[in-house]
Amino acid sequence: MSEQIANGAVLVVGGGISGLTAALEAAEVGKDVFLIEKKPSMGGRVAQLNQYFPKLCPPSCGLEINFKRIKDNRKIRMYTMTEVKSVSGSAGSYEVTCVTSPRYVNNNCTGCDACTEVCVEERDDDFNFGMGKTKAIYRPHEMSFPMKYVLDKNACSADTLDKIKAACKYDAIDTDMEAKEFTVNVDSIIWATGWNPYDPTKLDNLKYNESNAIITNMEMERLAAPNGPTAGKILRPGDDKEPESFAFVQCAGSRDENHLEYCSYICCMASMKQITYIRERYPEAPIYVFYIDLRTPGKYEKFREKLMSDPNTHFIKGKVADIIPESDGVTVVAENAVTGEKVQQKVDMAVLATGMEPAIKSQAAGLGLDIDSNGFVVSNPATGMISAGCAKKAADVVTSAQSATAAALKAIQAGK
Amino acid sequence: MKVNPDLDFIKYMKSAGGDTLKKCYQCATCSVVCPLSTDTKPFPRKEMIWAQWGLKEKLVADPDVLLCHQCGDCTAYCPRGAKPGDVLGAIRAYMYTHYGFPSGLAKMVSSSKNLPLTIGLPALIVLVVWFISGGMHLPSSADLGQYGFGHFFGHWDFRWLAKNVFFIDIIMLPAAGLAVFSAYKGVSSMWKAMEKQHNVTAQYRPSVNQFVKEFLWPSVQEIIQHTRFRECKTNINRVKGHLPLVLSFIGLLIVTAYSAFAQDVLGLIYPSLHGPMSLMNPVKILANVSAIAMIVGIGILWANRSAMEAEEGTTATYYDWFLIYEIMAVGVTGLAAELSRLIGIPALAYFFYYLHLVSVLMLFLYMPYTKFAHLVYRTFAMAFEKYRESSFVVKSEE
Repeated sequence: MSEQIANGAVLVVGGGISGLTAALEAAEVGKDVFLIEKKPSMGGRVAQLNQYFPKLCPPSCGLEINFKRIKDNRKIRMYTMTEVKSVSGSAGSYEVTCVTSPRYVNNNCTGCDACTEVCVEERDDDFNFGMGKTKAIYRPHEMSFPMKYVLDKNACSADTLDKIKAACKYDAIDTDMEAKEFTVNVDSIIWATGWNPYDPTKLDNLKYNESNAIITNMEMERLAAPNGPTAGKILRPGDDKEPESFAFVQCAGSRDENHLEYCSYICCMASMKQITYIRERYPEAPIYVFYIDLRTPGKYEKFREKLMSDPNTHFIKGKVADIIPESDGVTVVAENAVTGEKVQQKVDMAVLATGMEPAIKSQAAGLGLDIDSNGFVVSNPATGMISAGCAKKAADVVTSAQSATAAALKAIQAGK
Repeated sequence: MKVNPDLDFIKYMKSAGGDTLKKCYQCATCSVVCPLSTDTKPFPRKEMIWAQWGLKEKLVADPDVLLCHQCGDCTAYCPRGAKPGDVLGAIRAYMYTHYGFPSGLAKMVSSSKNLPLTIGLPALIVLVVWFISGGMHLPSSADLGQYGFGHFFGHWDFRWLAKNVFFIDIIMLPAAGLAVFSAYKGVSSMWKAMEKQHNVTAQYRPSVNQFVKEFLWPSVQEIIQHTRFRECKTNINRVKGHLPLVLSFIGLLIVTAYSAFAQDVLGLIYPSLHGPMSLMNPVKILANVSAIAMIVGIGILWANRSAMEAEEGTTATYYDWFLIYEIMAVGVTGLAAELSRLIGIPALAYFFYYLHLVSVLMLFLYMPYTKFAHLVYRTFAMAFEKYRESSFVVKSEE
């Protein structure tokens, strides 16, 4: 049996919780695994969270153990800043062309931080959704893995580049680095390409762009995270005010034919989790949750019951369909479908519970992937094209890890 | 709460363009994006669930159904494609049939299956009256030029009442009378139902004068100014069609009133007032401008509705299109009759005049049952809204 399954390598596309899990599961039974990640560091969306279900752990718990396992496993070859360019071949024998973008920092980097001290230029911090800046040479975030800096060459003047080079004692800066293309031959591909938060600017009635008091749920994660732009204080972007009241706008773009027609599954629990973040910091602040239906699967019912017993947390059945920017905060407008009256609630901060959009959606056709009408990758174990985690369907971390393990199990059989 | 759904009503809703109703999941987006919806009793979310449950008694007593102008903002933002705007249109259609008297006539007009009868009946009435009158011959070009359509139903020498006027009156007056009576009956039933549903008891009754001054006239002003219509976002273009149309109806009302007065009253003293008016006569100018405004207005509404159906997936319904075709027919036949009279082709002129009489008869006779009924029902629903907020009403503590 070992002969039959030992030769087929697996490509895992995406280094988030699903990709990490799938790569490790496949490698730990002896498969050669190529793990590629588009971003400069592993960990995906989970790394951006403050805490995650089921136990409200910080992402370091969970991700770090996986990083350790990857470091120790010689079967896994990991590539960051790398994307799939094309796929050829067929079931059991794929040739995949990958492209690695230049990081301009080589493996000599020790993370000593000498370079950032001499760098004057800054760039928008995409890890924090543009809330805050980093230097043009930066570490993606505090626990980024691999522990290597990244240089945004276009953001730097020639003078700064020279200074950075001079400051690096390890000769780690290589400004001549170019994009590198390489091919891998694998039996199967696990697509663990994850999700992007739905673009809130498409929800024109919610006016995300028109007020600093409107943030998305992922921005809330960053605000609450100790390694985030506010070091874990929940402050209103722009004026750094401590908000005295909050509104959660559920189904912002989800369950909506005009946007994402499916339920994104995680947003109800994400908002409830974020209520606990707020409660830790602002024990009395009124919180209003506007929802169509609350989806709190399984044991999360208990979690909901506990939150609903808080007299300062109000759950209103009715979707927010208009947000009016005010000089200080916003007014969210909904109809309370239980009382039949319109609610106009002025709050200091509104959180849009935006949903999950499959990240691979727009590229799927070019890569020959079978996607459903919503852009999720249809798993096809027979052809060795297997999807996992949020590339497959909207899911939480637990479900993603399960689906990644299942994907690994299918992938190791594909070479038979 | 005990719910007795009316299955026939639900079936009706499906047939009348409300087939998307079942998709609604009560998120209430519609009530918020609706520019006409109020804070204390927003719509159309509640109407959607009433309709899903088949609670027609609640719906036919709900002024909000009539306050809806089908802007389409709700439909545009609806996350489920439930098209609340179309559903409320279908409820209004149901309402007019529900309150229509006699109900047989109301039902006949409401269904496309009866279209041959709906057109055939007025066509036959006018034809039969034409035969009875004995006027049934084509005039010479000279006569047409001199008398216009004044001898369509023939001529007699009884100077106090022209034969033509007599025969037109025996067609149009009963039709208009029935329409007015039916509208009055319908509106008062609706008013009572609304009072009952909304627990409105009069503290003291407004006099007719007070009623008109405080509730009806402000509503009419709002309607003519298109105040609410202009709040619409998605289908704001409809104002461009509806406004000229309303003004043309007012213009033609003035023309008709003047011409009746001039011919039937003043004409008794000054016989020269009989026969077609000069094209330079200010009243005639108003008539022609109105006729063109009518055709242009209804043309714009026609185009808008076609566009709505093509772009936004608004359901095409008999209820909506019947009125568009009917008004277009009135305008086009009227203008065609006038033009062929001016050119001097008697056969063509009489043919179009006949069609014009038929279409005008249809407009009058079917007013309370077709979409045209919004003219009275919406006006009174708006008046009701003002009335229930007024000091005439006992304020109940709900």
